[in-house]
Amino acid sequence: MNDTLVKITDLNLIYQSIKSETKALEDINFEIKNQEFISIVGPSGCGKTTILSLISGLMKPTSGEIKILDKSPNPKDDICGYMFQRDNLLPWRTIEKNIYFGLEIKGQNKKERKGYALSLCEKYGLKDFLKKHPSELSGGMRQRVALIRTLALKPELLLLDEPFSALDYQTRLELCDHVFEIIKSEKKTAILVTHDIYEAISMSDRIIVLSARPGKIKAVHETGFKKEMTPFERRKTDKAKKLFDIIWQEIQNEKNDEIQ
Amino acid sequence: MKKMMKFSKSHYDYLRKYRTKKILITITQISILVLFLTLWEVLTKYEIISSFFFSSPSKIVDTIIEMFRSGELIYHSRITLSETLIGFAIATGIGFLVAFILWYSDFLRKVLEPYLVVLNSLPKIALGPIIIIWFGAGSKAIIFMCILIVIIVTIMNILNSFTSCDKQLIALAKSLGANKFQIFFKLILPNSLKDIVATLKINVGLSWIGAIMGEYLVSKAGLGYLLIYGGQVFNLNLVMTATVILCILASVMYFAVALFEKLMNKFYE
Repeated sequence: MNDTLVKITDLNLIYQSIKSETKALEDINFEIKNQEFISIVGPSGCGKTTILSLISGLMKPTSGEIKILDKSPNPKDDICGYMFQRDNLLPWRTIEKNIYFGLEIKGQNKKERKGYALSLCEKYGLKDFLKKHPSELSGGMRQRVALIRTLALKPELLLLDEPFSALDYQTRLELCDHVFEIIKSEKKTAILVTHDIYEAISMSDRIIVLSARPGKIKAVHETGFKKEMTPFERRKTDKAKKLFDIIWQEIQNEKNDEIQ
Repeated sequence: MKKMMKFSKSHYDYLRKYRTKKILITITQISILVLFLTLWEVLTKYEIISSFFFSSPSKIVDTIIEMFRSGELIYHSRITLSETLIGFAIATGIGFLVAFILWYSDFLRKVLEPYLVVLNSLPKIALGPIIIIWFGAGSKAIIFMCILIVIIVTIMNILNSFTSCDKQLIALAKSLGANKFQIFFKLILPNSLKDIVATLKINVGLSWIGAIMGEYLVSKAGLGYLLIYGGQVFNLNLVMTATVILCILASVMYFAVALFEKLMNKFYE
């Protein structure tokens, strides 16, 4: 199962606004293999989130090409599942109804799909919260609900846009392990965008470091951890510390370049 | 009973204090009304203030009974009430529809924005002469005046609520491939329900204003007509009676909307 899921070729993006045009991404090339977990890190405003928007098909590139399973991305397809920084649960719906939200939009709210969503809830410890409203749940729990809502659509590729950054540190580490485990056991491919270098190192197989705007690929690092290690265990290794120093320096250099 | 045993003594004290305060508020509210009516009655009875200019509670009650017997009360109330309800319904309905269209089309919204602002700041009563000429001196003109007053506020309030929906929720729906109708019915509408009910409450008051104002302009019947007529012939009993009836009708309509709100909140739970 080592076939390519996503192929990005010569990707460029220019933002247009009334006052100016901004080059956001320049000559981005990479591939993502099936069941691979990759992270994108880089200084603020380097276009990390933009890459996810492009892959999901919410935005169109200025030039270049994105192919997911040899097709151009389209939000109407079920290939990508987007997970945001905020859980975006609808406050007026119960957890159960929130989990069905994606299915309703896609017109797939058949019994079988709902049953699959419920089985995910049961598997990942949300069963007792189904009748509650989002306001009654903690931030970590809410983010889990958001993940299940995304998984209910059976996406091939998960796009994680800083999904842990709004949480407190303790919850963040716990949820990292949890989400990692879910993604591995559901055999999903994932792209994580984050500011947190350790988070990137501990969760992914490969890390792409972007330069300051316009975002170019500055470096790519293979983490090379054993599959069965949890993110928490990975964080504590010497390898993680060394990798952290390298990536930190790369991003720091970018910032300095920007100042000069 | 078992459940109640769980609470501590301080919780009971808290509950008692809460209840006492609530009762005290209700008692004070009623006392103010009773005191006001008594004072009014006594002062006019002994002619400390003129009963001709101020009427009196007992005279108002007499007038109400008299008008009820002659059928006038029902007749005039029904005319004003129906004008108000028709105006309220049409203005709220069309206002909602226009708000939806303006939400749907960004282009139309931007084009019509200055017109809405001007129409909103225009005192609608100034259009009175035009309305009379167009619609004649009858119920049609009154209903139109009522619609005119209610509809602009409805459009602006509901549109404002539609467009203030969390952008991130919309981004989520879009990432799932939702179309504009799905976004409206699954996000915008449930998100705006509270604001829509608040607008209904405002519209109750405004539609009464519209109907009475319309009757001031053109009517031959209705509570607004009674007020104007009573004022012209210095029949303060009639003026006060019409005012009291208006108060009662408007409150009933307001509470109907409040009840609707409660039912809807329950439905949401």
